[in-house]
Amino acid sequence: MPDVAMKNCPLDVLDVATIVADFPLLARAGDSLHYLDNAATTQKPNVVIDAIGDCYRHHYGPVHRGLYPLAEEASKCYEIARGIVAKFIAAPSEQLIFTRSATESINMVAQGWARSRLRQGDQIWVTRMEHHSNYLPWQALCRETGAQLCIIDLKADGSLDFDGCSSLYGSRTKLIAVTQVSNVLGVINPIKDICARAAEQGIAVVVDGSQSVGHMPVDVAELNCDFLVFSAHKMFGPTGIGALYGKAERLSEMEPLLLGGGMVDDVGECDSSWAPYPAKFEAGSQNLADALGFSAAVNYLETIGMAVVHKHVSDLTQYALNILQRMNGIELYGPRDLCQRGGIVSFNLTDVHPHDVGQVAGERGVAIRAGHHCCQPLMQHLGVAATARASFAPYNSHDDVDALADAILAAQAMFA
Amino acid sequence: MSDLSIYKDVLMDHYRNPRNRGDLADAEVVRRGSNPRCGDDIEVGVNFADGRLGRVKFRGRGCSVCLASASMMTEAVTGKSQQDARQLAEAMQVWFTADGEPPTESLQALAAVRGSSARKRCVLLAWEALDDALAAA
Repeated sequence: MPDVAMKNCPLDVLDVATIVADFPLLARAGDSLHYLDNAATTQKPNVVIDAIGDCYRHHYGPVHRGLYPLAEEASKCYEIARGIVAKFIAAPSEQLIFTRSATESINMVAQGWARSRLRQGDQIWVTRMEHHSNYLPWQALCRETGAQLCIIDLKADGSLDFDGCSSLYGSRTKLIAVTQVSNVLGVINPIKDICARAAEQGIAVVVDGSQSVGHMPVDVAELNCDFLVFSAHKMFGPTGIGALYGKAERLSEMEPLLLGGGMVDDVGECDSSWAPYPAKFEAGSQNLADALGFSAAVNYLETIGMAVVHKHVSDLTQYALNILQRMNGIELYGPRDLCQRGGIVSFNLTDVHPHDVGQVAGERGVAIRAGHHCCQPLMQHLGVAATARASFAPYNSHDDVDALADAILAAQAMFA
Repeated sequence: MSDLSIYKDVLMDHYRNPRNRGDLADAEVVRRGSNPRCGDDIEVGVNFADGRLGRVKFRGRGCSVCLASASMMTEAVTGKSQQDARQLAEAMQVWFTADGEPPTESLQALAAVRGSSARKRCVLLAWEALDDALAAA
């Protein structure tokens, strides 16, 4: 079952106009833009843009490096931001490491934790629906170490098919890397179940939260995952900053990839000792402004309420599925059951290349993605080279979906 | 704007009624161009006659821009010397990389997608396959 906490979900309808007014780019564009590429990156609200500007205007200084008041203030702001982002996923503050991106976070785990633990014949399991960023690091690691990369395949509706995975929780499995929400199919994976089974065998689970954190309630204590990664820019935050959560034991075991300033206790001529985490994993000067932008995005989402965000996006997804599945000449991917999917809808039109769909839609102000979405193994499974994809956020409305449907009709008329 | 819509009509005509699309079994040289990013995958086949490109055909799959460009390419280079055809392929690269005029008037309609960096590869795929074929000949 999906791990979406729908408990205490207030069912008030979200006021889209108020949300749109918070996003200057969208407010200025008005009806001329229907931004439905939120799985790629989201637009930014004023509070995030202002937090970054205010940082440089009012609070900017070196983090954890100075004794004067401005430096103290910068350090304090940075740690407050860490605490806000950590609390958002119910993690202890020190177990939330700021990275450059979800991609960097995964590579840190692959190289810093998994690499030294893998032996010839061990297994790493991934799924057919992983983004390249949660696939390639494991593929490369297996090539280097002689471990075996095993793949959990998919059922016809796009959900994970565990039938052919008898050794998934076996003694050779060292790690399972799985996305919480597919960036193509929108399917929500049963992370809690996977983590529970894996924990019994001491298998580490790395969860890609890029499409879940900021889109639905995510609680690492409830999931009981070993690692969770996510990016700020897909949840209203700035580009260039992401996060890595790890269980305390795993972070103690993990080696830092980047060595440098701020991450050491003692540096001797021949030997050095690392500072405790999170500092151990944040070598170099910290990205203060984007950390403050990240925490402002979290605050903004919490003001709306994550249950409300998820409900709104689910309603829009349902609305989109209802409209699209009644159209002719369209193939929809992913489960129809809304409980099993996030706000992402991938589709193809008969005899119209997704690029052409994307361009026709773009000319009508409808911004959707067309391509393989960094999921070539999944595209091979679907038997297509690419799909078109619409993905929703709290600032989207039924109007945006209607505009998408009109764009699809226009593309069909043009290429019929 | 009206120019743009005429250009688009020309592209759509080449997409719907592609020239010189078909079997390449008799071609002297065949080269493939593929763009896994979007799944465009075409092959260009060339037959030579008197030191010139006697027949140029293509086959494969792609978006409308890719297929229209391939169709227009076959018309633009048939009858040219190898050197002239390769120069034209190079001029296409330049036209889609920098500002300027189309290398020949018959390719003018591709200007409709010149502003879109995402479509550059779609346009140039057939031209690159042609250039590879001529380099190998």
